[in-house]
Amino acid sequence: MQTMVETRNLRKTYNRPDGSTIEAVKGVNLEIRQGEIFSLLGPNGAGKTTTISMISGLVEPTEGDATIGGHSITAEPMAAKRLMGFVPQEIALYPELSARQNLAFFGRMYGLGGKALNRRVDELLEFVDLADRQNDRIDTFSGGMKRRINLVAGLLNSPPLIYMDEPTVGIDPQSRRRILDTVKLLRDEQDMTVLYTTHLMEEAQELSDRVAIIDHGEIIAMGTQDELTQQVGEEDRLEFTIGEQEIAETLFERIQQKTPGVTRVLYNPTEQLSDDSSESVPALMTVFAKRGRTALPQILQELDSAGVEIQSVTVREPDLEAVFLALTGRALRD
Amino acid sequence: MRSILTIILNDLKIFFSQRGNLLGLLVIPVLLTLVVGWSIGQIGGGGPTRLRVDLIDLDRSAMSAQMIEDLRAANDALVLCPLDNDAEDFCRLGEEPLHLERAIERARSGRTSALIVIPAGYADALENFERTAVGFYSLSDPMQPDPVLQSLNAVLQRASTASMIPGVAGALLDNLTSAAQLPPIEGAARNSFLRALYSRSQQLLTDRPSPVSFRVADSNGDSSSVIDNGFNQSAPGMGSLYVMFTVLGGMAVLLRERRQWTLQRLIALPLSRAQILGAKIGVYFTLGMIQYAIVFAVGAAVGMEFGSSPFAFLAVMAAFVLCITALTFALAPWIKSEGQASGLVLLLSLSLAPLGGAWWPLEIVPDFMQTIGHISPVAWAMDAFHDLIWYNGRFPDVLPEIAVLVAAAAVLFAIGIRSFKYE
Repeated sequence: MQTMVETRNLRKTYNRPDGSTIEAVKGVNLEIRQGEIFSLLGPNGAGKTTTISMISGLVEPTEGDATIGGHSITAEPMAAKRLMGFVPQEIALYPELSARQNLAFFGRMYGLGGKALNRRVDELLEFVDLADRQNDRIDTFSGGMKRRINLVAGLLNSPPLIYMDEPTVGIDPQSRRRILDTVKLLRDEQDMTVLYTTHLMEEAQELSDRVAIIDHGEIIAMGTQDELTQQVGEEDRLEFTIGEQEIAETLFERIQQKTPGVTRVLYNPTEQLSDDSSESVPALMTVFAKRGRTALPQILQELDSAGVEIQSVTVREPDLEAVFLALTGRALRD
Repeated sequence: MRSILTIILNDLKIFFSQRGNLLGLLVIPVLLTLVVGWSIGQIGGGGPTRLRVDLIDLDRSAMSAQMIEDLRAANDALVLCPLDNDAEDFCRLGEEPLHLERAIERARSGRTSALIVIPAGYADALENFERTAVGFYSLSDPMQPDPVLQSLNAVLQRASTASMIPGVAGALLDNLTSAAQLPPIEGAARNSFLRALYSRSQQLLTDRPSPVSFRVADSNGDSSSVIDNGFNQSAPGMGSLYVMFTVLGGMAVLLRERRQWTLQRLIALPLSRAQILGAKIGVYFTLGMIQYAIVFAVGAAVGMEFGSSPFAFLAVMAAFVLCITALTFALAPWIKSEGQASGLVLLLSLSLAPLGGAWWPLEIVPDFMQTIGHISPVAWAMDAFHDLIWYNGRFPDVLPEIAVLVAAAAVLFAIGIRSFKYE
């Protein structure tokens, strides 16, 4: 399969006001094939947006380069940009203009005009089911509708490649479902290559042909979902939500040693949402076990005998969340 | 180029889609131009400002009376004291008579704009084509145009010309009678002929429209500006002020574009950064020119003058708008919030405009304030507009002001382009 995007040692360093530097992206190497949905999965602040911004020519890399369809984004930016559409995380539309005016403007910027432009705008408005609202100003749209127009604004030039930077942030489940279906349609019906960034494991899992997991500016794992889950073995993940109480380390050691099939126990204590908030994220104990459902009764017994108050128990099959947890020791939500 | 024009048109469409912008671009500047123009016109243009001028006629002849009449005709703002004093004692003479010593003291103390003394023997000297000296006392700067002196010079020039004509005619008569071998014409007949020539020549000169105009007056010893047409000051002044409001407002818009990511979306398009920057500069330059055009159109409708060089006028407008556009781009990268931008727009506009003479002519402020005022680009623009409107200047006359504005624009653009934030 032909390579659509390739990055070589892509690195970005920012200067802080105090004179020190921060390395947001630390030598990222990616190879995205034509016609696949490739997800960049990582928690907030992992370097996803910086990486995608460098690949799309928004931010100049401190080091390294990216090629789009063989064109270097630094040496031949115009040729590279002609092959791509861009859907930023923000609603990058003019709120004072109507949906149609926005699309027509960006279409003209791609060199479209006359009937071809009108036809393309009509197609895209139909595609996201907003033809009836085409003459309404963007600032009168709901969040989900804005997201849909934001998405098709990146498709005006019918590019072979589209970047989508967390396109479902802050919208209702129905609109989110519609966007995810649209992304799949782009690949399945238009053979487009999609580079999709998200911090939501479910989205990456549902959409992606391949996934790269990024953390602290580094790619820590890359491959198909099967390849990635194999990295953590065929283990189930048992998640215990625990009330606000102190738990001795010896309890975790005891569970790991005495329960057959248990390979590892991780513990994330209770977290305040903010300094001035009374709300908190409950403590989470994660147990990795080869046969999770078999091990569950014994673990519950151990917890009960130690006086631990359990709020909920979830048994998860191996997934990307488990991969991230196994590789970083943290949940994606962290 | 097509992409740049598309961006400019799109941004203008967005600008004009907001009613608040129309209010700031159209309604308020037009109203202020009219109100300020009318107010200034009431000060200077609603009628001639009166200038207190003492006049001592030591000759008391028909010719000196004619000269006094000519002075009144040359400049109807002159109140010749004590001859033209009114019931309210504009001349401030009180009960005391005005004699030469008192008049000189009044002129030297600045209580009158000037003193004119017609010497005894004035008429005889003119009739005999001889030299005579009219006295003129004033505190005014000899390097500056003085309306009283200008008026007096014009009148004296006429009197001298009228005096010269009988002299030349007498010589011509003598030569003709001699060449034709006719008996010489002498005595009363000759004098009567020459006097008739003098009267006729003076009449002809008086009937000509007065070449004298005045600009700066000093009516009560206090400085004040006199402007024939208030809109000649208010239109360029208010136009410049609102160009600043409109164009500097771009700082907030550039910040908003960055925050709503429409600027970044443009960068992801197959466009160079130079094209995007050029388009954004083009937007604010166009808005500035539109702002000037609106105010000047209203000015033209109410009788504002534009001088005789429309090309130079346009060049001054363009240079000022370019300078303010450059200032906008130099400041925009440092703006952190729209509130900060709004505050800065108000601060800059409301300080640089009056400092530079947008609200009143800089001529009425002390010299040191005129010097300080030229920190403001408004001062350079207003200087150029005044040269064109009031002195009928041509392009070379305003070239220095244009050069200063363009040079400032170049420096500010260099700063702005280097630090422009695309992310």
